Amino acid sequence: MHGGDNGRMGSTGPASAPAVNRMPGGRPGHPLAGFARRAVRAPVAGRALREVAFCAIEGPLGLSVVALLAALPGLGLLAALLAGGGARTAAGHPGSAHPGGGPVSPFGVVVIVVLAALPMLAPWGARRFAAVHRGLVAWLLGERIAGPPPLRHGRGPGRWLVATLCDGPGWRAAAYLLVKLPVTVAELYAAFLAGAGLANLTYPFWWPFFRNHPPGVRLAPAGALTPFGVLPVATFPGTFAAFAAGAAMILACLWLARAASTADRWLVRGMLGPGRLAQRVADLEQARALAVDDSAALLRRLERDLHDGAQVRLATLAMNLGMAKEKLGEHGDVPDPAAARELLDAAHRGAKDALAELRSLARGIHPAALDNGLADALATLAAGSAIPVDLQVHVPVRPTQAIETIAYFCAAELLANAAKHSSATRIGVRVTGREDTLVLVVSDDGTGGADPARGSGLAGLAQRVAVVDGRLDIASPPGGPTRVTAELPLRA
Amino acid sequence: MTLRVVIAEDAALFRAGLVRLLEDRGHQVCAEVADGDALLAAVARWHPDVAVVDVRMPPAYTDEGLRAALRLRREQPRTAVLVLSQYIETRYATRLLADSTAGVGYLLKDRVADVAEFAAALARVAAGGTALDPEVVGQLVRSSSHAAGLAALTAREREVLALMAEGRSNAGIAAALVISAGAVEKHVAGIFAKLGLPVSEADNRRVLAVLRYVGA
Repeated sequence: MHGGDNGRMGSTGPASAPAVNRMPGGRPGHPLAGFARRAVRAPVAGRALREVAFCAIEGPLGLSVVALLAALPGLGLLAALLAGGGARTAAGHPGSAHPGGGPVSPFGVVVIVVLAALPMLAPWGARRFAAVHRGLVAWLLGERIAGPPPLRHGRGPGRWLVATLCDGPGWRAAAYLLVKLPVTVAELYAAFLAGAGLANLTYPFWWPFFRNHPPGVRLAPAGALTPFGVLPVATFPGTFAAFAAGAAMILACLWLARAASTADRWLVRGMLGPGRLAQRVADLEQARALAVDDSAALLRRLERDLHDGAQVRLATLAMNLGMAKEKLGEHGDVPDPAAARELLDAAHRGAKDALAELRSLARGIHPAALDNGLADALATLAAGSAIPVDLQVHVPVRPTQAIETIAYFCAAELLANAAKHSSATRIGVRVTGREDTLVLVVSDDGTGGADPARGSGLAGLAQRVAVVDGRLDIASPPGGPTRVTAELPLRA
Repeated sequence: MTLRVVIAEDAALFRAGLVRLLEDRGHQVCAEVADGDALLAAVARWHPDVAVVDVRMPPAYTDEGLRAALRLRREQPRTAVLVLSQYIETRYATRLLADSTAGVGYLLKDRVADVAEFAAALARVAAGGTALDPEVVGQLVRSSSHAAGLAALTAREREVLALMAEGRSNAGIAAALVISAGAVEKHVAGIFAKLGLPVSEADNRRVLAVLRYVGA
């Protein structure tokens, strides 16, 4: 088998070590050898240690929660029995007013209250535990999982109670605590393997110091704990057996920890997350807020452009014409023809500038070429670029106008960015329409290093794309090249 | 009369035009600045007769010119202030005219196109009078809470009222409407009687009375 196949096989396994078996020389590596190498290497990663720590915390935590859940009804039952006994005693009492259905003892009342309170507390408590679990996953496994929206309830304890009882995410969290029981067992076992395995590894090191008894003295063998029972260790060579067992246990522990923590993470993601619908609502709320902000900012910018641009130019032009009129006089001879000519000249220039300004402003709002489709508009855009642009547009199904507009302004912004920052010599713009997505790729051979976090227009672009459920991928390593891909739905 | 003027305007083109316009009229431009702080400094240095101030200037491009103008009114009461704006903002105008209408003006930038008219307004403000843009007056009158009182005026009286609110003198009103000064006096008396306003001789007090009446 070729080495490359090993790499592929490895990628399905949990090993975090990179796929190592790319041997250009074609030296055939035994698949088992590759597997063994990865098996030994995987634990070296810091991630593996964090996974073990995760299991060591999650296991006991999960167990204690389940123990609590199991204990409460048990306690309740016990209390009920006691209360029942009390009631019987009371009924059997000669002076009892209600024989048979005797008065419930105060203790019985407490029991009933506790039993009734349990289901109400379950979603409430589970939500608290869920937060702890999400925190652990974020801290040790590095996956941030958003919590469900907080419980919404009106004022007053009654409303709170109803809301808690109907709290879907709360019940889901409670279900998680039960469903993860098998995972908890695995996590506990991994924790045991880690603890006992580490202990076994130490045998050869301390043995010479504590078991240096004179020959002939026989001591009871020291037991080394293994999954297959207690290994009796009586001699120094015997400690190496304990060591080997410990090493094997540690290795097994790492793999078990990975499996268990992966399963747990999967459960947390599915059951303690915000829920698909709630997540969607949250996404849409955010997108709507962005869209509203964006359009407000757009209008503001437009007003400013008009105010500081064309409006000032026209006011200046009017002023120049007014002055020129004065220089020309009311009628008859012109008192100051040279000044009048100069002022008219300035006014003429001002009028042309104002026209150019308004034209560019209008194009910034909506390029007329976009009415004929993206291909025409992008061709116009590419023709105006300072850096040569290779343009390829293949869009069999025409997207909605909103999508075309977003795609156009994405391309315009990216072209402007490339011209400003990249010092590229060529820019490629490719637009392809797939089944239901429009893919815009703008790439250049420039210096790279484009970073949306550093205040360029890229963050704004990503926002605008996100509004229509699109996505923006930026690949721009320092030194280049830069490649920005925008994926947009065909209709929005 | 030669006026000493400080100009605060961030659009260089327009500012250059203003300088030329004022110098053509024989006024002296002491300083031209592009933001509010520089305006305050220039006025403190030159003590001009009048400061011509743009509303929107750096750094925030909102109303720093107006705020600088309000500070000037408090700190340099001897310098008249003429605010130029591209907005018909009654709130800006009324804030500017709230305390006193002496030596203050609020005009749209468009007004500079009528050079003579603009120069007259500037001279009026520099002399302690008022110049309120006709568009702003029109909006104040239209949105007035005393519509009933205003409805009692004749059409001619309403015209005279608007011109009074702009800050014009009786002579100025007479010239604008092409009627005699005596006719203007008669209309003014009629307006004050119908609206129940205190009669005032000074033009800018008259402006205040009218503006208060229309609810500015």
